[in-house]
Amino acid sequence: MAMVSHARDELDDSRIVAASLEDPDAFGELFRRHSPRLHAYVKRRLGLALADDLVSETFATAFRQRERFDGRAEFGAWLWGIASNLIAKQHRQETRMYRAFARTGVDPAEEDVADLASDRVSAAALGSRLAKSLASLSAQERSVILLLAWGGMSYAEIAATLNLPLGTVKAKIHRVRAKLRKTLPEETTDG
Amino acid sequence: MDELDALRHMRTALAQEEHPDRIALRTDWRGGAARPRRSLKIPVVSLAATAALVVGVVAVVPLRSDRGVTPGPGRSGAVIRQGDVLLVAAARAQEAPVGEYWHTKSVSGRIYAVGTSAADHYKVDSRQGSESWTDRSGKGRSAHIELADVPLTAQDERKWQAAGSPELVRIPAPEGAARSVYLDMEPPSVKDPGWRPAADRYYGLAPDQIAKLPTEPEALENALLNLRGRWQAYSSKTGKEPIRALRGQQRVRALSDVAATLLSTAPAPPTVRAAVFRMLATQPGVRAEGRATDPLGRTGTVISLPLETTVPLGLYTAPKQLGTYRRQLVISPDTGRLLAILDLVATPPRGSRKLPTGDDGESRSLKARNMPDRFHRPGELASYQVFEVTEWTDTEPPR
Repeated sequence: MAMVSHARDELDDSRIVAASLEDPDAFGELFRRHSPRLHAYVKRRLGLALADDLVSETFATAFRQRERFDGRAEFGAWLWGIASNLIAKQHRQETRMYRAFARTGVDPAEEDVADLASDRVSAAALGSRLAKSLASLSAQERSVILLLAWGGMSYAEIAATLNLPLGTVKAKIHRVRAKLRKTLPEETTDG
Repeated sequence: MDELDALRHMRTALAQEEHPDRIALRTDWRGGAARPRRSLKIPVVSLAATAALVVGVVAVVPLRSDRGVTPGPGRSGAVIRQGDVLLVAAARAQEAPVGEYWHTKSVSGRIYAVGTSAADHYKVDSRQGSESWTDRSGKGRSAHIELADVPLTAQDERKWQAAGSPELVRIPAPEGAARSVYLDMEPPSVKDPGWRPAADRYYGLAPDQIAKLPTEPEALENALLNLRGRWQAYSSKTGKEPIRALRGQQRVRALSDVAATLLSTAPAPPTVRAAVFRMLATQPGVRAEGRATDPLGRTGTVISLPLETTVPLGLYTAPKQLGTYRRQLVISPDTGRLLAILDLVATPPRGSRKLPTGDDGESRSLKARNMPDRFHRPGELASYQVFEVTEWTDTEPPR
């Protein structure tokens, strides 16, 4: 989509970071490229209001620390890594939202998007079950599974983002999926 | 649905990507010079059912920032994650207003090559329009809209003009019965649209049956699988069978044909439309593929179907195409509407095939050199349907 598939002949991210050391405004291009997807992901984890703050904080941190970005990893992975750390700091807050969803059947994260209430209804039944197990996960387990399901990342991208060995990512996803599976109703498939 | 799919269906309302300018506005991002304007403020979340666990919180407090009203995910300029396009469209479709009348206006077009070689030809879009109004009882009126055939692109237009802008252009008769046929490039003189009473059925479904279709995707699919019809593109058998009797791609194809009708011309209530989008999202191989412009110039997201060869189902006893085709739906996730159905050439026509003898007793055959798409390249548009209006309205239909 437009935001993630910019043309190859544009400057790549690490060059922009380098350029921004001289010209801070150049960093704005990275915001343009990366904020929509990151923001959508954070919204999904923490709700709209907190997402605005957290994305702002993520880019501010990235900007402050841009000299430390050495270009060995993708800029996207580095940025999402910063965001993941900030999200982890909201672990209890996130847990409370999942618990509230599990207990009441109403997802507080979606409260701000009242015009999409209809969407909630159909998803709520499974969603509140999932929320219950999401509430029980550690910060890292949550990040691993949600980067996969909501971030749309590959195992390798998750490993780069969270700075974990690939094998660890696979093992964690396997474990978390098994945990989530138990909370769902028995599969009913017809041919 | 496995646990990963279930997760992907959770909080889809929040999965919508917004334009970076909007995000910049809300986060006070000011280019590289931005500073964190304050520490993170934690909104209060309550546990309505067990308030005792959280000190001082009693009611469900919606997440609001301290800046007052936060704009919801943008309806304009929003970009949506691909996997969620159909689910977002479903949410939008469900919110569409209802009214006394179901009103549709659509154009179908087929693209014909005019000329004698791949190097020297132009393409003409031969169009037919129709408009219909259906009331709640299922009674309706419909009209045929005369439309001029037009050059497909600006380049085709220049070539047509270079040929002297003929009002009638000659093309080979695709089925070989006549020597040649003509496309009419003359704008039609305005005349009585000729409203006729109509009581249309949609794959055998009457409007009252459509109104009662299930609104959950699994239940809807189950109901549609019972639809009996001639679901083979062409077949010597003429019997009807339920979609359930089909397997694999054939089943996806029949279901997606019915789905596209329910999303376009059929008088389906918003809840059923939403379920159709959700059902499509669960079909194997159905994928969102980025942005495209429909034949009316509107921008939407392409949903591609995992199918080749899309001869209309059930109409013919013999195949009337020599190429293969793939089908795309262009949807607008923002409005939850199906904008257009596009059939693109997958492999251009080749060879020939005998057809059953026509009514006049003359033998007929299909030949690649007579086909409308004989000079098409893979990926080029062969035919389309575009839905200009599909809405419930309280406006009275024309008399």
